[in-house]
Amino acid sequence: MSQIKSKKYAILTCNGLDKSAGCVAREIALEIAEQTGSEIICPVLYNVAYARYKKTAEENPLLVIDGCQTRCASKLAVGKGLKVAKKITVTEYAKINGIELCESLRLDASALELSKTLANEALKEETAKAGEGTFAFPENIEYSAYKKDKFIFKTPTEGFLFNENDCWAYVVGNIARVGVADYVQHSLLDIIFFTPPTVGTEIEQFGELGQVESGKAIFEVVSPVSGKIIRVNDELVNIPELINQSPYEKGWIAEIELSDFEEDKEFLLDYEGYFKVLKRKVDEYHVK
Amino acid sequence: MSDDMRILPPTGDTFMGVSRDTIDWCPIIDNDKCNDCMECLKFCPHKVFDVNENSTPKLFVKNPKNCVVFCRACSKTCGPEAITFPNKPETIKKIKKTRKELPPNESN
Repeated sequence: MSQIKSKKYAILTCNGLDKSAGCVAREIALEIAEQTGSEIICPVLYNVAYARYKKTAEENPLLVIDGCQTRCASKLAVGKGLKVAKKITVTEYAKINGIELCESLRLDASALELSKTLANEALKEETAKAGEGTFAFPENIEYSAYKKDKFIFKTPTEGFLFNENDCWAYVVGNIARVGVADYVQHSLLDIIFFTPPTVGTEIEQFGELGQVESGKAIFEVVSPVSGKIIRVNDELVNIPELINQSPYEKGWIAEIELSDFEEDKEFLLDYEGYFKVLKRKVDEYHVK
Repeated sequence: MSDDMRILPPTGDTFMGVSRDTIDWCPIIDNDKCNDCMECLKFCPHKVFDVNENSTPKLFVKNPKNCVVFCRACSKTCGPEAITFPNKPETIKKIKKTRKELPPNESN
């Protein structure tokens, strides 16, 4: 097959021998490898013979394909210390698009079609970059620190509002910049992937504003405010660890044009309120 | 609890000023899909799930009110996708309604 001009990846895929979603994952890997000349990493061999794929994994951006939510391929990537450049989860895509996966391990026509669609989606160049914002975010933020064992939980002392799901909002005029609290990144440990929300969509307060993922868990960002998503922090797609390094500044998630901030405020905490919640959570964590 | 289990907030008695008891939010297990892999049980630090050796599946929701309101992280560990949650927008609406009905001095 002739190769189209597209990015070459190292593809770490679910092996998919006993589930149809896994078989679709394998088919997507084949499709992308054929179209781009990408190299496939066999997860089974990778597990026992790390050196075999060392060069491939180091020299190419890594595309991880998970069949289901067990996320074996993602977890393997984390275990091997690899940086994930792009990610596909077959069952998630199927669910969002209302596609029923076949039961059979031998792929039927619709499963093959789905594999092709997903492969092409993954190869689409990311367009629609949001323009630079002019959000007046403060340059010097003062933090308080709450220490517990080796962990230090930082919280900005002024201007930020929080919900009890550890997400923050900083409001200027009718726009809020939002993100996750330091507590989230401490809980998740090393963040490997950020799934951005869609720019232009309306979101309710407490609605899902993308996902932050580590080897340990997936955290749904719970929007502190309601309104229209006007900008997403694109940097997080390539450097999700900014959320670990700087959850209140460089690791911001999105900007939202507020639709009913007066009502939203009723359900938000200021620094004093959130700090109490944070302390309780941190203290309860360490209960043996 | 080991460091390794530290994930997502523990719940309190209230959520956004509303009593946790009035909020209907916890995982719902589809018994036909659950394969007792116990990934969710291992994951959730709030002891929402437990095991009953005499039933099929063995997994069940033991402490629904321990579940952190709007957390759905356990469902994302579930390979067979046997875990769902109540409708979120409806739950939000209900919490906001309950909150508005509270006398002002009880809302925090």
